[in-house]
Amino acid sequence: MPLTSILLLAATLAFAAAVVQALLAIKSGAWRQAKAQVVLMALGFGLQTAFLYHRGQEVGQCPMKSVADILVFIGWSVVLLYFLVGSGFRLSLLGLFTAPLVTVMQGIALAQGFGPYAIKGKINALVELHAAVALIAYAAFALGCITGVMYLVQERMLKQHRIHALFYQLPPIQGLAKAIQRLVGLGLVLLSAALGISFALHTPVSNPKLVFSWIVWGLYAVISFLMWRHVTSPRRTAWLAVLGFVLPFISLWIVTHA
Amino acid sequence: MPEPTDNIRATGSLVCVGLNYKTTPVEVRERLAFPENVVPQAVREIRHLPGFGESVVLSTCNRVEIYAAHQLPDGKTSHDELRDYLVRHFKLQPEHAEAMVLYNLDAAEAARHLFRVVSGLDSMVLGETEIFGQVKAAYKTALDTGATGKTLNKLFQQAFTVGKRVRNDTMIQRGSTSVGSVAVDLAEKVHDLKECRVMLVGAGEMSRTCAQSLLSRGAKSIIVSNRSYDKAVELAAEMKGVAMKFDEWEHALHEVDVIISSTSAPHFVIKKDQIEQVMRRRRWQPLLIIDIAVPRDVDPAVNDIEGVYLYDIDALQAIADEGRRERERQLALCEQIIEEQLAKFGFVNA
Repeated sequence: MPLTSILLLAATLAFAAAVVQALLAIKSGAWRQAKAQVVLMALGFGLQTAFLYHRGQEVGQCPMKSVADILVFIGWSVVLLYFLVGSGFRLSLLGLFTAPLVTVMQGIALAQGFGPYAIKGKINALVELHAAVALIAYAAFALGCITGVMYLVQERMLKQHRIHALFYQLPPIQGLAKAIQRLVGLGLVLLSAALGISFALHTPVSNPKLVFSWIVWGLYAVISFLMWRHVTSPRRTAWLAVLGFVLPFISLWIVTHA
Repeated sequence: MPEPTDNIRATGSLVCVGLNYKTTPVEVRERLAFPENVVPQAVREIRHLPGFGESVVLSTCNRVEIYAAHQLPDGKTSHDELRDYLVRHFKLQPEHAEAMVLYNLDAAEAARHLFRVVSGLDSMVLGETEIFGQVKAAYKTALDTGATGKTLNKLFQQAFTVGKRVRNDTMIQRGSTSVGSVAVDLAEKVHDLKECRVMLVGAGEMSRTCAQSLLSRGAKSIIVSNRSYDKAVELAAEMKGVAMKFDEWEHALHEVDVIISSTSAPHFVIKKDQIEQVMRRRRWQPLLIIDIAVPRDVDPAVNDIEGVYLYDIDALQAIADEGRRERERQLALCEQIIEEQLAKFGFVNA
């Protein structure tokens, strides 16, 4: 097995272990912010970073041209954002919700496999920047989706008077609603920047890529507007943040194959 | 019980004499409570009793305990000395002195008792945290007065370590055990309490307790509305809030984040269509409604509105009961930690 695959497999196992550890703790009713959770997330992040470095060496550029590579890059960005913004929430708990998503994304990437890139010409730094910023924007949307799930879980427990271990660890729903708004806003700003860069590109960009990127931008612009103007309830906007992520997730296949 | 080791015999001069809410009714406890300003003098007096070298006095509303280190030939003599000191200090009449029921604990039993006290296991509300601070303050007073020495300094440091360990490694503090604390927990999971505005509709005793709990945990402001405006003014003044006439409270509903209702009305005071309008004005900011009244003040259908979380007295009580059961389930684990620590510190054999 090549080194890159070993690194990614190890990273995926670390995130899966974080999920198992958290679920066991919750099932036993003894959930609390465990160091093990943060250590496993940090270990997974380190292995992800090592994977991206070696994969970059292997293909001679930023590894963002196949679906598998993109999934890993988004997963890496999600964990990076989790460490950056997580302290604003309950760090390990956000990890509980982040780790399954990253595990699934990397599982799909491992199943797809990693092949060599067909070098189409000289590497354009702006194209690389455009792609990297767009993928970090997608990571912000992913984290918005995760926070949306946290909101919906907490909201359901409050409505149904189901007060148990997880309830005490989740942040207030009002804070979660604000976090969703900020993460979607951050993603939108980053995606706007990525699309702005595309105007400066001299390399021709295929239509499906641009069309889908703009559709994703439009969707999140609408979600942001609805949140900003309080047009609909936070519960519905949380659902939008969760379901909205399906579109960028699907668009990855279209964009990479266009 | 395992036989003590040499190490244990070295701490054998430790003694604890006291009474608490389990052994002594409040009428007697209040007579034996040491006022805060008297404690330094008391620890000095006990330290200078014949055969005694160190002392700490813990005096709270639920307990009066003297921890001391002595060089007397046996524990019984030290118990009698401390009992006599209490009788003298509080100038008890013979019949009161006769009725005073004290527990007398030596060495490992005294250490175990202190570890349980500091962990909240001996408290009226199992797992409560206030006692930790009270023990710390009692120890600090004795330390500052120069009434502690090697034995008690070591014992109390160990007790604080055990107390922290019990709180960190178990869920003895988890959950709420009273209606007031449930209200606070719920409010904290809906809003940032520092930004939380509270309205009391009706000024019953339990709603007052809930409101006080919320304010003590940092709620921003409070509005009190009651059929008797004078009572509303009185309660608002007590809580540094604003009083509102009873026919006006509906107009302020959209401005508050938590409503605590406890009127004696025989019908629903807060209805679904009313709250629907409020939520539109609030632009979907979440609203917690706590209905303590019996018969209920709030139409249960209000809970169907998005962003509204309604809890009646039964729901609050059920959560508090579950909190108590959860703490009781944790008790065995806490006791196990204490026994491990007693062995680690050499009070009992491992």
